[in-house]
Amino acid sequence: MAFMAHKRSSEDKLTALKACLTRVAEDRDRGAFAELFNHYAPLIRAYSLAREPGADLVADELVQEVLSRVWLKADKYNERLANLNTWIFTLARNCRIDYLRRNSRYVTEIDPTDIFNDIEDEGPGPFQQVQQTRAEESIHTGLKQLPQEQAEILRKVYLEGKTHQQTSDELKLPLGTVKSRVRLALKKLEVLIER
Amino acid sequence: MEKISNHPQQELMAAYSAGSLPLSQALCISTHLEHCPECVRKLQRLDHVGSELMQQLKPAPASSELRDKLFARLDSLTEDSGTEDSVEKVDQDADSAVPKCLRQFVDEGFDKLQWKRVSADIQSVQLCRDSNGARVELLKIRPGGSAIKHTHLGDEYTVILEGGFSDESGLYGEGDFLFRDNSDEHTPVATQHRECLCLAVTEGPIQFTGVFSRLLNPFVRRNFAL
Repeated sequence: MAFMAHKRSSEDKLTALKACLTRVAEDRDRGAFAELFNHYAPLIRAYSLAREPGADLVADELVQEVLSRVWLKADKYNERLANLNTWIFTLARNCRIDYLRRNSRYVTEIDPTDIFNDIEDEGPGPFQQVQQTRAEESIHTGLKQLPQEQAEILRKVYLEGKTHQQTSDELKLPLGTVKSRVRLALKKLEVLIER
Repeated sequence: MEKISNHPQQELMAAYSAGSLPLSQALCISTHLEHCPECVRKLQRLDHVGSELMQQLKPAPASSELRDKLFARLDSLTEDSGTEDSVEKVDQDADSAVPKCLRQFVDEGFDKLQWKRVSADIQSVQLCRDSNGARVELLKIRPGGSAIKHTHLGDEYTVILEGGFSDESGLYGEGDFLFRDNSDEHTPVATQHRECLCLAVTEGPIQFTGVFSRLLNPFVRRNFAL
């Protein structure tokens, strides 16, 4: 019961945040934008600090970068493609990739903008949307039940931004084990099942 | 569009979604995604995994100075600070056969590139190098033409853009994504009726394995070191 109540409250929260985004898109409402800031800025900072602990300036820069895009692209947000939390995650990821490319010692000639641009979709049909919602639910509940060793690897890859090789070096695990744990985790979360 | 049967491995897709993949590999995935709605849906779910993990983080409070600074710059923000405009412009000019993510290297269609002859059957053009040293190139194999039998000292990622080819392990067509590591030895042969165009990312020098072409190896390696 406590779990259901928690789930309900996080859904209500998301609905409220979505309403804020609509007010930003339609009325350029700064009060609504402040609410988005209050909720997402600490999460974006935590995401940045997960990769570079102690780098508060970098974390602040990421917040500015991500929320500037939210302000500019609020009207482009498409609820049918991703829920708001997921949209924010992809913006944070893209901004982090940009930042790392600009500040890397190693030069790459590849511009990530066109690689990680919002993928255009003709818009999923109602059937696919139901599938996506179901998938989101199984990911949400599945993550809580994931064995510690698999969850740890997902966090390394997604939050700390580690490559499989770096994860393998850090945890002193063979590369093959890292990859198979990622696969096992995705299987448990039913991420790749076509329903 | 024919159904694509060769997709990026799951863990590669997860690394792409996490943003922890070298950009040259990400470029291959992105090219595949433009051909494969099925993988686009998988990616949306993988992005959702990242999102859920992010929500689990302990929030790191933001200062009011940070908020003031952001609010102060809202008015001066324009779409120019993103790249939206430039992307749209490129879209209009570019040949629609060129995948979006490759247009940064191919502004006027594949034909206008400076193709170099590699063998009687193959032409290539290097698009760029990644920070890990990987080479990003386009390969063109004439109809029925074959590549020299080779293995890899590093990994190789291939996405078929046009036409198709076969090798020891199967037949591949447009949109297919292939990964070969250094234990694979293969001889791709393009299908008979049309030219085959591929995007290829190679992370180490290719090693030719034919008796004759073994002589070529020192040159290839030197070339790679440049």
